Amino acid sequence: MKVGLFVTCLVDLSRPGIGFAALKLLEGAGCEVVVPETQTCCGQPGYNSGGREIAKALARKVLAEFRDCDYVVAPSGSCSGQMKVATVHDLFQGEPDLPEFEALAAKWYELSQFLVEVLKVDAVPGKFEGTVTYHDSCSGLRELGVKMQPRYLLQMAGAKIAEMEGAERCCGFGGTFSIKLGEISTRMCENKCESIRATGAGAIVGGDLGCLLNIEGRLRRTGDKETKVLHFAQVIAGEG
Amino acid sequence: MQVQSMFFKQRASEKLGDELLQGNMRKAKGKFVDGRAKAVAEFGVWEEVRSHAAKVRDRALANLDAYLLEFEANATRRGAVVHWAETAEEACAIIVGIARANGVRKAAKSKSMVSEEVNLNEALEAAGVEVIETDLGEYILQLAHEPPSHIVAPAVHKSKEQVAELFVKAHGKPRLTEIPAMTREAREALRGHFLGADMGISGSNFVIAETGTTLTVTNEGNADMVTTLPRIHVVITGIEKVIGTLEDFATLIRLLPRSAIGQTVTNYLTLTTGLKMPDEADGPEQMHIVLVDAGRTKLVGGPMQEMLRCIRCGACMNHCPVYQNVGGHAYGWVYPGPMGSILTPVYVGLENAGDLPNAATFCHECAVACPVKIPLPELMRKLREQQFDRKLRPWPERLAIAAWAFAVKRPALYAFLSGIGARVAKWMGGREGLIHSLPGLDGWTKGRDMPAPAGRTFRELYRQRSLERR
Amino acid sequence: MGARENILARIRRAQGRPGGEPTAAERAAVREAIARHEVGPQPPFAHAPDRLAQFRKECDRLGTTHAQVASERDVPAEVARYLAANGLEPRLAGWGEFAGLDWAGAGIAFDNRPARGDDRTGLTGCFCAIAETGTVLLLSAPATPKVTALLPETHVCVVRTSRLVDTMEDSFALVRAEVGDPPRAVFFVSGPSRTADIEQTIVIGAHGPYRVHVILL
Ligand code: SF4
Repeated sequence: MKVGLFVTCLVDLSRPGIGFAALKLLEGAGCEVVVPETQTCCGQPGYNSGGREIAKALARKVLAEFRDCDYVVAPSGSCSGQMKVATVHDLFQGEPDLPEFEALAAKWYELSQFLVEVLKVDAVPGKFEGTVTYHDSCSGLRELGVKMQPRYLLQMAGAKIAEMEGAERCCGFGGTFSIKLGEISTRMCENKCESIRATGAGAIVGGDLGCLLNIEGRLRRTGDKETKVLHFAQVIAGEG
Repeated sequence: MQVQSMFFKQRASEKLGDELLQGNMRKAKGKFVDGRAKAVAEFGVWEEVRSHAAKVRDRALANLDAYLLEFEANATRRGAVVHWAETAEEACAIIVGIARANGVRKAAKSKSMVSEEVNLNEALEAAGVEVIETDLGEYILQLAHEPPSHIVAPAVHKSKEQVAELFVKAHGKPRLTEIPAMTREAREALRGHFLGADMGISGSNFVIAETGTTLTVTNEGNADMVTTLPRIHVVITGIEKVIGTLEDFATLIRLLPRSAIGQTVTNYLTLTTGLKMPDEADGPEQMHIVLVDAGRTKLVGGPMQEMLRCIRCGACMNHCPVYQNVGGHAYGWVYPGPMGSILTPVYVGLENAGDLPNAATFCHECAVACPVKIPLPELMRKLREQQFDRKLRPWPERLAIAAWAFAVKRPALYAFLSGIGARVAKWMGGREGLIHSLPGLDGWTKGRDMPAPAGRTFRELYRQRSLERR
Repeated sequence: MGARENILARIRRAQGRPGGEPTAAERAAVREAIARHEVGPQPPFAHAPDRLAQFRKECDRLGTTHAQVASERDVPAEVARYLAANGLEPRLAGWGEFAGLDWAGAGIAFDNRPARGDDRTGLTGCFCAIAETGTVLLLSAPATPKVTALLPETHVCVVRTSRLVDTMEDSFALVRAEVGDPPRAVFFVSGPSRTADIEQTIVIGAHGPYRVHVILL
């Protein structure tokens, strides 16, 4: 089974460890993983800024890079939403290459969904002692239905989960929103951090690096140097 | 209402710093959301009814002109006079004209967002008509000289202490501390107005083509007074409100109060059609229905027509994390929250709406909550596309996007730049790995650190790993 | 050209239909769609096996009290009991259809006229009642003034269980069958008036009644 890993631009730039954790999990489950070297970004920042043509150009680039894979997996609900939902429901509606994007969407998975629903893993290499709280990122949750999968995997690694109040509420990241409307974004993030603190968990875990950088940035700014901020792939791969 | 939406960012900033407002918003938070969730859970066929509701709204919108004429014909047959207004000014002129022709001195009003859109109260007052808002929330705001901050709960931003203060000034009675007592005092103050008004003004949540019916949906019963007691009843509503049948209404009304506040049904629903009979004790002698365009036809037929399905339930704002934090006044016009971020730019002009289309993280809570399945985030994105195409965003932002787009399409260049970026940013993060301020990104770094990158990109490390493995 | 013509023309242009007004065929198509009176999906509980139990359950939720009597003759006694139990004055303004009952025998002063602003209790019947939502439906007419249900602080409503239907759609079908065009006011009452406009705190008794009591017979 040939699986293409879509690393995501944020992981590439900022937290390569998450990419390697994903690699370890996929290879460990027996997948032949390919990582096209020319990949950059799914195009969502352009799409959400109103740059439709940029988004389409990048989607076509991604399509070409992963054409010969059986599956494509990304450690992000947000980029997966872009490639599974935005392309077929909006960007390529009425375009000749719509069927190709439909095919890409059908074989594209967010990492936790792939591990649980396709690979049906029943063991993970990571061991985690302690309590975590899980933040549901918006696109993964509401566009793709990512909810129980990461929790299931985390528990497989031994983590206890303390649910926070409003786990499904947006952390305020929103891509460029976090900069354009930084003050509102910060307040939304502070609300999220309050919920996190209230759980007393030693780590906040999520599935989208954008949200995680946002939360980490706010926790650190408000003096919390302790709480770990981790991608679930790091925890279950034992790379946290 | 004067448009202030271009100042969204500043207004939001003020609201975030307003401790009193933040406290009041916190009290309200959750009540709407939890109430709706419970009502939806026990309903059983929510998605089916939602789809049907979207369909019946679309059906009328797809042939809006014919549905409107059907409504007009039936309303006229029943004795109402149907007026058409292209603009806010025309709508006001029509109603002022009706008031003048009938020597109206006092008008009692039940809640109408369209009347807020067109500034009806000001127009009537300028013509010497005393206007009394009778919905408790609207009454409070009329005393406070403030616009509503929510389309269903207009005074949600006020605390009971603030209301008590307003009542002391307006009623000249001792200060009250309990909400039921305040409500009774307002009831007593308003009773005389209902009985003494010559004109009742109401909105209409829908107008029904089949029967020529207008209608009101309330819990307080004020709309029933307004549509029953005065001798003249004026309805002001938007042209998009037309639906086909009474059965369509039955579908929509299952969704409206549940979505708004989690109620299965409002205490009062009144369908009003035509005039008082000669030997009836109550009912108006004249009925005027003003159908207002004021920007709605800009949505008709275009890629955003779906927005016209809106049934004004407020669920999108109740679920919006931006609205929850900044409140309705930050949005700077009549309609706040996600639906306002779409309607305001369309009705008052994209160039006057500033950041509204960008005031969303696209978390999709609104789209999930909307009872008529309006894809609110997608519509906001369409407005962003218009802003982008018309170059309405500030130049540094446009430059940044252009530069990013250039690089991201060129893998070699991108690899080179991101490699440098990762190293420089790591260096900036120092020992703690945290960047405290970044030029151009102060929107982020004012309130948050930027966790610094690890230093080398995945791409580099992966290539190295591949080489080592060989 | 007037506003009406401009608006209609704009809609047609935007939706790609020629001309300034709908054609006869378009109008006919709309009438046909309307005439189908398509009923949408309804929640399962709207068709409860025990319609009366469903009605009562919803009344309880809304804060509408209810009592069952055997026949119309028993209405005055039940009204007297209810008013006394709530410490209310034994006087009411009522619809003419109830004027012939023995009110004096129950110790109640019955004013056969529409209620006014200062009446404390109003007595009405109803056209029908809806089990799905615990709603009573009043139709305006000279003999059935709406004000009697609206102005007093207490509204007592007599509901014949033979007039209980499942849903709002059923009530509309009944109006069509028995009355034809809806009368001026089709008034759905579901419990006492309320507001939550101050701090989202629910207060019973806003502009309409504080109490609604249904007498089932
Ligand atoms: S857009 Fe949808 S959720 Fe928002 S007010 Fe309108 S109908 Fe309600």
